[in-house]
Amino acid sequence: MDPIFSPDAIEAWAKAVGIYQLMNTSWAWPTAEIIHFFGICLLMGTVGMFDLRMMGVARGVSMHALHRLVPLGVAGYLMCAVTGSFFIVTAPAQYLYNPAIQTKILLMALAGINVAIFYLFSSRAVLASAESGAAPAPARIAAFISLTCWLGVITAGRLVTFFRPPEFWCLWCTPA
Amino acid sequence: MTEIFAAIEQTPLSIWMREDFYAYFIALIFHSIGMALLVGGGVLVSLRYMGFAATARLDRFAGFFPVMWAGAALAFLSGLALLAAYPAKALTNPVFGLKFAALAGATIILWRTARHIQSVRDSGSQLSSSTRWLACVALMLWLCVVVFGKLLLHTASVLMVS
Repeated sequence: MDPIFSPDAIEAWAKAVGIYQLMNTSWAWPTAEIIHFFGICLLMGTVGMFDLRMMGVARGVSMHALHRLVPLGVAGYLMCAVTGSFFIVTAPAQYLYNPAIQTKILLMALAGINVAIFYLFSSRAVLASAESGAAPAPARIAAFISLTCWLGVITAGRLVTFFRPPEFWCLWCTPA
Repeated sequence: MTEIFAAIEQTPLSIWMREDFYAYFIALIFHSIGMALLVGGGVLVSLRYMGFAATARLDRFAGFFPVMWAGAALAFLSGLALLAAYPAKALTNPVFGLKFAALAGATIILWRTARHIQSVRDSGSQLSSSTRWLACVALMLWLCVVVFGKLLLHTASVLMVS
Protein backbone atom coordinates (compact mmCIF):
# COMPACT_ATOMS: atom_id res chain seq x y z
CA MET A 1 0.00 0.00 0.00
CA ASP A 2 1.31 3.40 -1.01
CA PRO A 3 1.17 5.93 1.88
CA ILE A 4 2.30 8.82 -0.34
CA PHE A 5 0.82 8.56 -3.82
CA SER A 6 -2.62 7.50 -4.95
CA PRO A 7 -2.61 6.69 -8.67
CA ASP A 8 -6.41 6.79 -8.73
CA ALA A 9 -6.51 10.26 -7.15
CA ILE A 10 -3.81 11.55 -9.53
CA GLU A 11 -5.69 10.19 -12.53
CA ALA A 12 -8.95 11.66 -11.23
CA TRP A 13 -7.23 15.05 -10.90
CA ALA A 14 -5.86 14.74 -14.45
CA LYS A 15 -9.38 14.03 -15.68
CA ALA A 16 -10.82 16.94 -13.69
CA VAL A 17 -8.37 19.45 -15.17
CA GLY A 18 -8.56 17.98 -18.69
CA ILE A 19 -4.96 16.75 -19.05
CA TYR A 20 -6.13 13.13 -19.27
CA GLN A 21 -8.56 13.90 -22.10
CA LEU A 22 -5.96 16.02 -23.90
CA MET A 23 -3.27 13.35 -23.68
CA ASN A 24 -5.68 10.70 -24.96
CA THR A 25 -6.31 12.54 -28.22
CA SER A 26 -4.53 11.05 -31.23
CA TRP A 27 -2.01 13.92 -31.52
CA ALA A 28 -1.21 15.06 -27.97
CA TRP A 29 0.96 12.14 -26.80
CA PRO A 30 3.26 12.17 -29.88
CA THR A 31 3.44 15.98 -29.67
CA ALA A 32 4.42 15.78 -25.99
CA GLU A 33 7.08 13.17 -26.87
CA ILE A 34 8.50 15.50 -29.53
CA ILE A 35 8.60 18.46 -27.11
CA HIS A 36 10.13 16.20 -24.44
CA PHE A 37 12.99 15.01 -26.63
CA PHE A 38 13.63 18.44 -28.14
CA GLY A 39 13.85 19.75 -24.57
CA ILE A 40 16.50 17.12 -23.84
CA CYS A 41 18.40 18.16 -26.99
CA LEU A 42 18.26 21.82 -25.89
CA LEU A 43 19.52 20.78 -22.47
CA MET A 44 22.37 18.74 -23.94
CA GLY A 45 23.20 21.43 -26.48
CA THR A 46 23.54 24.17 -23.87
CA VAL A 47 24.04 22.79 -20.35
CA GLY A 48 25.72 19.59 -21.63
CA MET A 49 28.13 21.51 -23.86
CA PHE A 50 28.83 24.01 -21.05
CA ASP A 51 29.68 20.99 -18.88
CA LEU A 52 31.98 19.67 -21.59
CA ARG A 53 33.66 23.07 -21.90
CA MET A 54 34.31 23.11 -18.14
CA MET A 55 35.75 19.60 -18.49
CA GLY A 56 38.25 20.92 -21.03
CA VAL A 57 36.55 20.38 -24.42
CA ALA A 58 36.63 23.29 -26.92
CA ARG A 59 39.12 25.35 -24.92
CA GLY A 60 39.03 28.90 -26.17
CA VAL A 61 35.23 29.14 -26.17
CA SER A 62 34.52 31.68 -23.44
CA MET A 63 32.72 29.95 -20.57
CA HIS A 64 31.14 33.28 -19.71
CA ALA A 65 29.66 33.62 -23.22
CA LEU A 66 28.62 29.96 -23.35
CA HIS A 67 26.90 30.38 -20.01
CA ARG A 68 24.52 32.87 -21.65
CA LEU A 69 22.93 29.89 -23.44
CA VAL A 70 22.16 28.10 -20.19
CA PRO A 71 18.70 29.80 -19.91
CA LEU A 72 17.80 27.95 -23.13
CA GLY A 73 18.81 24.75 -21.37
CA VAL A 74 16.54 25.70 -18.48
CA ALA A 75 13.76 26.22 -21.05
CA GLY A 76 14.54 22.74 -22.38
CA TYR A 77 14.36 21.37 -18.84
CA LEU A 78 10.96 23.02 -18.32
CA MET A 79 9.71 21.56 -21.62
CA CYS A 80 10.75 18.13 -20.33
CA ALA A 81 9.28 18.70 -16.86
CA VAL A 82 5.88 19.82 -18.14
CA THR A 83 5.51 17.08 -20.77
CA GLY A 84 6.93 14.48 -18.37
CA SER A 85 4.37 15.50 -15.74
CA PHE A 86 1.62 15.14 -18.34
CA PHE A 87 2.78 11.58 -19.09
CA ILE A 88 2.82 10.66 -15.40
CA VAL A 89 -0.55 12.12 -14.40
CA THR A 90 -2.24 10.59 -17.45
CA ALA A 91 -1.08 7.06 -16.59
CA PRO A 92 0.23 7.23 -12.99
CA ALA A 93 0.09 3.48 -12.38
CA GLN A 94 2.37 2.98 -15.41
CA TYR A 95 4.98 5.39 -14.14
CA LEU A 96 4.99 5.81 -10.35
CA TYR A 97 6.16 2.28 -9.59
CA ASN A 98 8.49 1.99 -12.56
CA PRO A 99 12.17 1.70 -11.47
CA ALA A 100 13.31 3.55 -14.58
CA ILE A 101 11.17 6.61 -13.77
CA GLN A 102 12.27 6.52 -10.14
CA THR A 103 15.91 6.39 -11.23
CA LYS A 104 15.28 9.22 -13.70
CA ILE A 105 13.72 11.45 -11.04
CA LEU A 106 16.53 10.58 -8.60
CA LEU A 107 19.15 11.57 -11.17
CA MET A 108 17.27 14.81 -11.90
CA ALA A 109 17.25 15.59 -8.17
CA LEU A 110 20.98 14.82 -7.98
CA ALA A 111 21.60 17.13 -10.96
CA GLY A 112 19.57 19.82 -9.18
CA ILE A 113 21.63 19.53 -5.97
CA ASN A 114 24.81 19.52 -8.05
CA VAL A 115 23.82 22.69 -9.92
CA ALA A 116 22.94 24.40 -6.61
CA ILE A 117 26.37 23.52 -5.20
CA PHE A 118 28.00 24.72 -8.44
CA TYR A 119 26.28 28.11 -8.31
CA LEU A 120 27.01 28.49 -4.60
CA PHE A 121 30.71 27.68 -4.70
CA SER A 122 32.24 27.49 -8.20
CA SER A 123 30.31 29.55 -10.74
CA ARG A 124 31.96 32.92 -10.01
CA ALA A 125 35.44 31.59 -10.61
CA VAL A 126 34.29 29.86 -13.80
CA LEU A 127 32.53 32.92 -15.22
CA ALA A 128 35.46 35.18 -14.37
CA SER A 129 38.06 32.92 -15.96
CA ALA A 130 39.93 33.85 -19.12
CA GLU A 131 38.62 32.86 -22.55
CA SER A 132 40.91 29.87 -22.96
CA GLY A 133 41.27 29.26 -19.24
CA ALA A 134 40.60 25.99 -17.48
CA ALA A 135 37.77 25.64 -14.99
CA PRO A 136 38.78 25.08 -11.35
CA ALA A 137 38.80 21.45 -10.17
CA PRO A 138 35.49 21.65 -8.19
CA ALA A 139 33.76 23.04 -11.29
CA ARG A 140 35.21 20.25 -13.44
CA ILE A 141 33.87 17.69 -10.96
CA ALA A 142 30.46 19.41 -10.94
CA ALA A 143 30.46 19.36 -14.76
CA PHE A 144 31.28 15.66 -14.81
CA ILE A 145 28.48 14.89 -12.31
CA SER A 146 26.04 17.04 -14.30
CA LEU A 147 26.83 15.39 -17.63
CA THR A 148 26.70 11.92 -16.09
CA CYS A 149 23.32 12.71 -14.53
CA TRP A 150 21.83 13.96 -17.82
CA LEU A 151 23.13 10.99 -19.79
CA GLY A 152 21.68 8.80 -17.03
CA VAL A 153 18.37 10.63 -17.32
CA ILE A 154 18.25 9.84 -21.06
CA THR A 155 19.14 6.20 -20.38
CA ALA A 156 16.52 5.82 -17.64
CA GLY A 157 13.95 7.54 -19.84
CA ARG A 158 14.49 4.99 -22.58
CA LEU A 159 14.15 2.15 -20.07
CA VAL A 160 10.66 3.24 -18.96
CA THR A 161 8.97 0.94 -21.47
CA PHE A 162 11.40 -1.86 -20.56
CA PHE A 163 10.02 -1.85 -17.01
CA ARG A 164 6.39 -1.30 -17.94
CA PRO A 165 3.77 -2.92 -15.67
CA PRO A 166 3.31 -5.55 -14.31
CA GLU A 167 6.75 -4.45 -12.98
CA PHE A 168 6.05 -2.96 -9.55
CA TRP A 169 8.81 -1.19 -7.64
CA CYS A 170 7.90 0.73 -4.51
CA LEU A 171 10.44 1.05 -1.70
CA TRP A 172 8.20 3.41 0.29
CA CYS A 173 5.10 1.20 0.13
CA THR A 174 3.88 -0.78 3.12
CA PRO A 175 2.51 -4.33 2.90
CA ALA A 176 -1.24 -4.32 2.23
CA MET B 1 11.07 -5.09 -51.67
CA THR B 2 9.10 -7.52 -49.52
CA GLU B 3 11.61 -10.28 -50.30
CA ILE B 4 14.51 -8.03 -49.29
CA PHE B 5 12.83 -7.09 -46.00
CA ALA B 6 12.06 -10.76 -45.33
CA ALA B 7 15.68 -11.72 -46.04
CA ILE B 8 16.97 -9.03 -43.65
CA GLU B 9 14.52 -10.18 -40.98
CA GLN B 10 16.02 -13.67 -41.17
CA THR B 11 19.64 -12.54 -40.68
CA PRO B 12 21.25 -13.51 -37.34
CA LEU B 13 21.64 -9.81 -36.40
CA SER B 14 17.95 -9.09 -37.01
CA ILE B 15 16.80 -12.13 -35.05
CA TRP B 16 19.19 -11.30 -32.18
CA MET B 17 18.00 -7.69 -32.07
CA ARG B 18 14.38 -8.83 -31.78
CA GLU B 19 14.78 -11.80 -29.49
CA ASP B 20 17.56 -10.83 -27.10
CA PHE B 21 16.21 -9.47 -23.81
CA TYR B 22 18.46 -6.39 -23.80
CA ALA B 23 19.71 -5.77 -27.35
CA TYR B 24 16.84 -3.63 -28.64
CA PHE B 25 16.72 -1.43 -25.54
CA ILE B 26 20.49 -0.96 -25.49
CA ALA B 27 20.34 0.13 -29.14
CA LEU B 28 17.50 2.53 -28.27
CA ILE B 29 19.54 4.03 -25.40
CA PHE B 30 22.62 4.53 -27.62
CA HIS B 31 20.42 6.00 -30.36
CA SER B 32 18.88 8.51 -27.94
CA ILE B 33 22.25 9.55 -26.46
CA GLY B 34 23.80 9.82 -29.92
CA MET B 35 20.91 11.88 -31.26
CA ALA B 36 20.89 14.13 -28.17
CA LEU B 37 24.62 14.84 -28.63
CA LEU B 38 24.29 15.39 -32.39
CA VAL B 39 21.08 17.44 -32.34
CA GLY B 40 22.11 19.26 -29.13
CA GLY B 41 25.47 20.21 -30.66
CA GLY B 42 23.76 21.18 -33.92
CA VAL B 43 21.35 23.42 -32.00
CA LEU B 44 24.28 24.99 -30.11
CA VAL B 45 26.23 25.81 -33.28
CA SER B 46 23.07 27.10 -35.01
CA LEU B 47 22.29 29.36 -32.05
CA ARG B 48 25.83 30.76 -32.07
CA TYR B 49 25.57 31.51 -35.81
CA MET B 50 22.19 33.18 -35.20
CA GLY B 51 23.87 35.61 -32.81
CA PHE B 52 23.40 34.02 -29.39
CA ALA B 53 26.49 34.03 -27.12
CA ALA B 54 28.02 36.40 -29.66
CA THR B 55 31.08 37.13 -27.54
CA ALA B 56 32.21 33.50 -27.72
CA ARG B 57 34.83 33.03 -30.44
CA LEU B 58 33.12 31.19 -33.27
CA ASP B 59 36.24 29.45 -34.55
CA ARG B 60 36.74 27.74 -31.19
CA PHE B 61 33.33 26.07 -31.51
CA ALA B 62 35.05 23.59 -33.80
CA GLY B 63 36.17 21.96 -30.55
CA PHE B 64 32.62 20.68 -30.07
CA PHE B 65 32.51 18.96 -33.47
CA PRO B 66 34.26 15.75 -32.33
CA VAL B 67 31.55 15.34 -29.66
CA MET B 68 28.87 15.78 -32.32
CA TRP B 69 30.54 13.39 -34.75
CA ALA B 70 30.83 10.83 -31.93
CA GLY B 71 27.09 11.31 -31.31
CA ALA B 72 26.42 10.92 -35.04
CA ALA B 73 28.45 7.68 -35.18
CA LEU B 74 26.63 6.32 -32.12
CA ALA B 75 23.22 7.26 -33.55
CA PHE B 76 24.10 5.83 -36.98
CA LEU B 77 25.38 2.47 -35.72
CA SER B 78 22.53 2.00 -33.24
CA GLY B 79 20.09 3.17 -35.92
CA LEU B 80 21.40 0.48 -38.27
CA ALA B 81 20.86 -2.14 -35.55
CA LEU B 82 17.30 -0.90 -34.96
CA LEU B 83 16.69 -0.91 -38.71
CA ALA B 84 18.03 -4.48 -38.97
CA ALA B 85 15.52 -5.59 -36.31
CA TYR B 86 12.45 -4.30 -38.15
CA PRO B 87 13.44 -3.17 -41.67
CA ALA B 88 9.89 -3.12 -43.06
CA LYS B 89 8.64 -1.04 -40.13
CA ALA B 90 10.95 1.85 -41.04
CA LEU B 91 11.42 1.48 -44.77
CA THR B 92 7.70 1.28 -45.62
CA ASN B 93 7.06 4.46 -43.61
CA PRO B 94 7.44 7.76 -45.52
CA VAL B 95 8.22 9.52 -42.24
CA PHE B 96 11.52 7.59 -42.13
CA GLY B 97 12.46 9.21 -45.45
CA LEU B 98 11.51 12.63 -44.09
CA LYS B 99 13.68 12.06 -41.00
CA PHE B 100 16.62 11.15 -43.21
CA ALA B 101 16.05 14.09 -45.54
CA ALA B 102 16.02 16.49 -42.56
CA LEU B 103 19.09 14.78 -41.09
CA ALA B 104 20.94 14.96 -44.42
CA GLY B 105 20.04 18.64 -44.83
CA ALA B 106 21.11 19.55 -41.31
CA THR B 107 24.35 17.56 -41.65
CA ILE B 108 25.22 19.22 -44.97
CA ILE B 109 24.71 22.65 -43.38
CA LEU B 110 26.80 21.54 -40.39
CA TRP B 111 29.52 20.37 -42.78
CA ARG B 112 29.48 23.75 -44.53
CA THR B 113 29.51 25.40 -41.10
CA ALA B 114 32.63 23.46 -40.16
CA ARG B 115 34.34 24.72 -43.35
CA HIS B 116 33.07 28.24 -42.72
CA ILE B 117 34.45 28.18 -39.19
CA GLN B 118 37.81 27.30 -40.76
CA SER B 119 37.60 30.32 -43.08
CA VAL B 120 36.56 32.59 -40.20
CA ARG B 121 39.59 31.37 -38.30
CA ASP B 122 41.86 32.00 -41.32
CA SER B 123 40.54 35.39 -42.42
CA GLY B 124 38.85 36.84 -39.35
CA SER B 125 35.79 37.68 -41.49
CA GLN B 126 32.37 38.50 -40.01
CA LEU B 127 29.19 36.47 -40.37
CA SER B 128 26.91 37.45 -43.25
CA SER B 129 23.12 37.66 -42.92
CA SER B 130 22.79 34.70 -45.29
CA THR B 131 24.88 32.64 -42.87
CA ARG B 132 22.50 33.59 -40.06
CA TRP B 133 19.52 32.54 -42.18
CA LEU B 134 21.23 29.27 -43.00
CA ALA B 135 21.65 28.70 -39.27
CA CYS B 136 17.89 29.28 -38.80
CA VAL B 137 17.20 26.67 -41.50
CA ALA B 138 19.60 24.27 -39.78
CA LEU B 139 17.83 24.79 -36.45
CA MET B 140 14.48 24.02 -38.10
CA LEU B 141 15.98 20.91 -39.73
CA TRP B 142 17.31 19.65 -36.37
CA LEU B 143 13.81 20.16 -34.95
CA CYS B 144 12.38 18.23 -37.93
CA VAL B 145 14.80 15.36 -37.23
CA VAL B 146 13.33 15.10 -33.72
CA VAL B 147 9.73 15.50 -34.94
CA PHE B 148 10.00 12.83 -37.64
CA GLY B 149 12.06 10.55 -35.41
CA LYS B 150 9.39 10.60 -32.72
CA LEU B 151 6.56 10.28 -35.25
CA LEU B 152 8.10 7.08 -36.64
CA LEU B 153 6.73 5.08 -33.74
CA HIS B 154 3.23 6.47 -34.16
CA THR B 155 2.95 6.24 -37.94
CA ALA B 156 4.35 2.77 -38.70
CA SER B 157 1.76 0.52 -40.31
CA VAL B 158 3.88 -2.59 -40.94
CA LEU B 159 5.98 -4.37 -38.31
CA MET B 160 7.39 -7.39 -40.16
CA VAL B 161 6.84 -9.11 -43.50
CA SER B 162 8.11 -12.61 -42.71
